Amino acid sequence: MNKITARDVNVFYGSKQALFDVSINIQEKEVTALIGPSGCGKSTFLRCMNRMNDVIDICRVEGSIKMDDLELNSNKLDVVRLRENVGMVFQKPNPFPKTIYENIAYGPTIHGLAQSKEEMDQIVETSLKKAALWNEVKDRLDEIGTGLSGGQQQRLCIARAISVSPEVILMDEPCSALDPIATAQIEELIDDLKKEHTIVIVTHSMSQAARVSQKTGFFHLGKLIEFGETEKIFKNPDNQQTQDYITGRFG
Amino acid sequence: MSEKPHIVKSYEEQLQLLKDTIIKMGAGVEKQLEQSIQSATKKDLSLAEKTIKDDETIDRFEVNIEEQVVNLIALRQPMAIDLRETVVALKISSDLERIGDLAKNISKRLISVGVDLPTEIVKNLEIAGLKAAKQVNSVLNSYLHRDKAVAESVWNSDEEIDQITNVNMEAAVKHLEKNKSDIKKVTQLLFVLKNIERIGDHATNVAEQTYFLITGEYLEGDRPKA
Repeated sequence: MNKITARDVNVFYGSKQALFDVSINIQEKEVTALIGPSGCGKSTFLRCMNRMNDVIDICRVEGSIKMDDLELNSNKLDVVRLRENVGMVFQKPNPFPKTIYENIAYGPTIHGLAQSKEEMDQIVETSLKKAALWNEVKDRLDEIGTGLSGGQQQRLCIARAISVSPEVILMDEPCSALDPIATAQIEELIDDLKKEHTIVIVTHSMSQAARVSQKTGFFHLGKLIEFGETEKIFKNPDNQQTQDYITGRFG
Repeated sequence: MSEKPHIVKSYEEQLQLLKDTIIKMGAGVEKQLEQSIQSATKKDLSLAEKTIKDDETIDRFEVNIEEQVVNLIALRQPMAIDLRETVVALKISSDLERIGDLAKNISKRLISVGVDLPTEIVKNLEIAGLKAAKQVNSVLNSYLHRDKAVAESVWNSDEEIDQITNVNMEAAVKHLEKNKSDIKKVTQLLFVLKNIERIGDHATNVAEQTYFLITGEYLEGDRPKA
């Protein structure tokens, strides 16, 4: 079932067009990987799905992006509610300079998701467990989040993202600053999270896209060149440009 | 798809070396097959002996290809066409090695029965052997030139070797009925004929792999069989 349906999405930064007629169906409770060379538009497209482009003054988005039946590219949309439903994890772990507990409790607090301290404790514990971090931090929840290792910080950010139970999680190169073990832990987590969440991940690592995703989209110069089953894309893509890119023949 | 070279030259060179090794191994196997048949048709058992000796070289090629493939997978993580190139090389080398073994086995059997053989059976053996050699040659060309039509044609032609083998086996049995004293020779020649038929099967396997390499798809349907 489609969770997000984009139709003819065009994005402009001032007079420069960054995306050209992108249409894509993101399947529910699957991992969709977006790949392509730097500047191809994959992150721009990712940011369309939680209206992060709104923070760039000169950015203009045209076309339709629907999550279920809700039009995301509409002036009437409540962007705060949207971001409760569409979480995001960035390239560099960016925990708040607060305690581990406060990092997780922040979202549920502003969205009013917990009625009592016990309920909040429960949300913090569940989120950290889902992010596979609980066992490592359960005895030091009052320590500062930025004191954790890089991989732990990224899992803390994922725990923070899932604390408000979003249906969709967007990840923008979530492992590019992590070592292979921390990367494997995040990938294991992605596998687990897809049971309850729809995940869209931008990655420069071909092998990561191949490992974690069920669908892959290849972007080039602002266009979605090929989109399909990950197995098909990495074994026998239809498009020559896709093949050149994934086999290192690009340029 | 015609492929651009890889950005990383050493990767390009490693894949090229893999293709070149398959072609060299294939050429060696073709020579083995040719020599093994000629040892009967030219009544020259030194060719059979040479075929047996040459098999060591073929075995070394297989080991070398396996090493190259493992290195490529471990160090380059090939994708798409490069992945197919790598995996297919492993499978083709295994089929070529078996063809080499069968040529060696033909040679051993011919040495054991000597050069004084029933003319009619030798003639049939030559027809089947030439047909199998042509199949091996064509499939190696299809691999070298990435020609899927030739790969398909080899795949479809295997039936002909099966038919020739059936006819030849029957003829050999008829000969035996009339010439009971030839039992030792004919028994060995029956195995030789069967080996040639098996060589055709391996050429067909290589055709299937080559077709997959070029298209990323498997040849559909059952292989034509007589």
